[in-house]
Amino acid sequence: MGINEPCNNASSTSGGFVIDWSLATARVQEAMPDAPYDRWVSPAGVVMAEFYRSGDDFVVRFPGQADFTLRPDKTPGGFDVIAHLAPDCAEDAVRTLVNNAITPIIGNYHGGKFLHGSAVAISDITGAEDAGIAFLGLSRSGKTTLAGAFAKAGHPFVTEDVIDIDLHDRVYRLHPKPSGLRLFADSAQHLIGNNPRFEDRDRKQEVAAGAALPFARAPVPLRHIYILGPDHDAQLAIRRLSSSEALAAILPHAFILDVEDRSRLRAHFMRMADLTQTIACHTLDYRRDYAELPAVIEAILASFSAD
Amino acid sequence: MQDSDTIAVSPDVVAREVSGEMVLLDLESGMYFGLDAVGAFVWAKLAERAHTFGDLVDGVAAEYDAPRDRIETDLHALFADLSEKGLVVTGAEAA
Repeated sequence: MGINEPCNNASSTSGGFVIDWSLATARVQEAMPDAPYDRWVSPAGVVMAEFYRSGDDFVVRFPGQADFTLRPDKTPGGFDVIAHLAPDCAEDAVRTLVNNAITPIIGNYHGGKFLHGSAVAISDITGAEDAGIAFLGLSRSGKTTLAGAFAKAGHPFVTEDVIDIDLHDRVYRLHPKPSGLRLFADSAQHLIGNNPRFEDRDRKQEVAAGAALPFARAPVPLRHIYILGPDHDAQLAIRRLSSSEALAAILPHAFILDVEDRSRLRAHFMRMADLTQTIACHTLDYRRDYAELPAVIEAILASFSAD
Repeated sequence: MQDSDTIAVSPDVVAREVSGEMVLLDLESGMYFGLDAVGAFVWAKLAERAHTFGDLVDGVAAEYDAPRDRIETDLHALFADLSEKGLVVTGAEAA
């Protein structure tokens, strides 16, 4: 396996955290010499990502899409990021992976608080400033659709896939990550309604949402986190978690590059513990039916106002 | 478990008290566990140094209003669970 000369350079920003990366020429994803030290596996058992060591480098492989080599650079904890597309994979896929996976992985490696989920800005609840609520959940749990329903109801998206939290003047804030919306066909039809053409109805596709689903333009204070339950036929229910329950509940939704780096794991654990001692966290169960979404929104807004 | 048995926290575990309860992260396995208020109290004592089982029973008895035999039973179960999960070490390993 060799590294070809990079042929493209790009940056990805998130809450001020910048990733510089380069796109090298496409190559076949050959078998790695060693087993991965970590994997991301979807609830359906599909391997989404594999993590390897290669000397001092990390290699993050997204099967069928791209390999990312994270090579330590001169700065403490910094990396040069080199992406190799797999054959027949579109370049857009690499940009999505950089924004939605590589950036938060490296961000958390540097002490960030990136979580996998969506978020919206709620306004006019208490008459005060906009407040942010975040939705965490497993893949295909409905986070983006739920956030999209809020946006459709006038509460702008803050982010649809990666939650970027910082601590500013002792306030946790959500940073907007405007992006094209990646939706499944049925969600796109429900939220946007213009019957976009989907090549594969079993895969998410980026759709143009336009003014129908606006994005927030500035950071908003994070007020609540809702963790979507796995039962897609559950009755609507919202339960406030204790801080200790919340900590255990949000840890699986973080981005971790090196699960064997104990000092970083420890530091990340402490950051998440600090977060759950300040931010109210809830479980959210509801039937995944588009007709239910207005009631879900109403219940969430009611729980928000009650706290 | 005997009163004289020594118990210590595993060096692979990081703990954080949140709102009176304790969350443990096993750095070896990546698993995390929660302890209730009594468990958190006991863990906090173990985090300072290793203790004998008898010491811990005495400590809980002084802190909480419960019969000693009930405390012993509950702590037996607690440490059996924690030991099985590798979160505490006992006996010679703990010394």
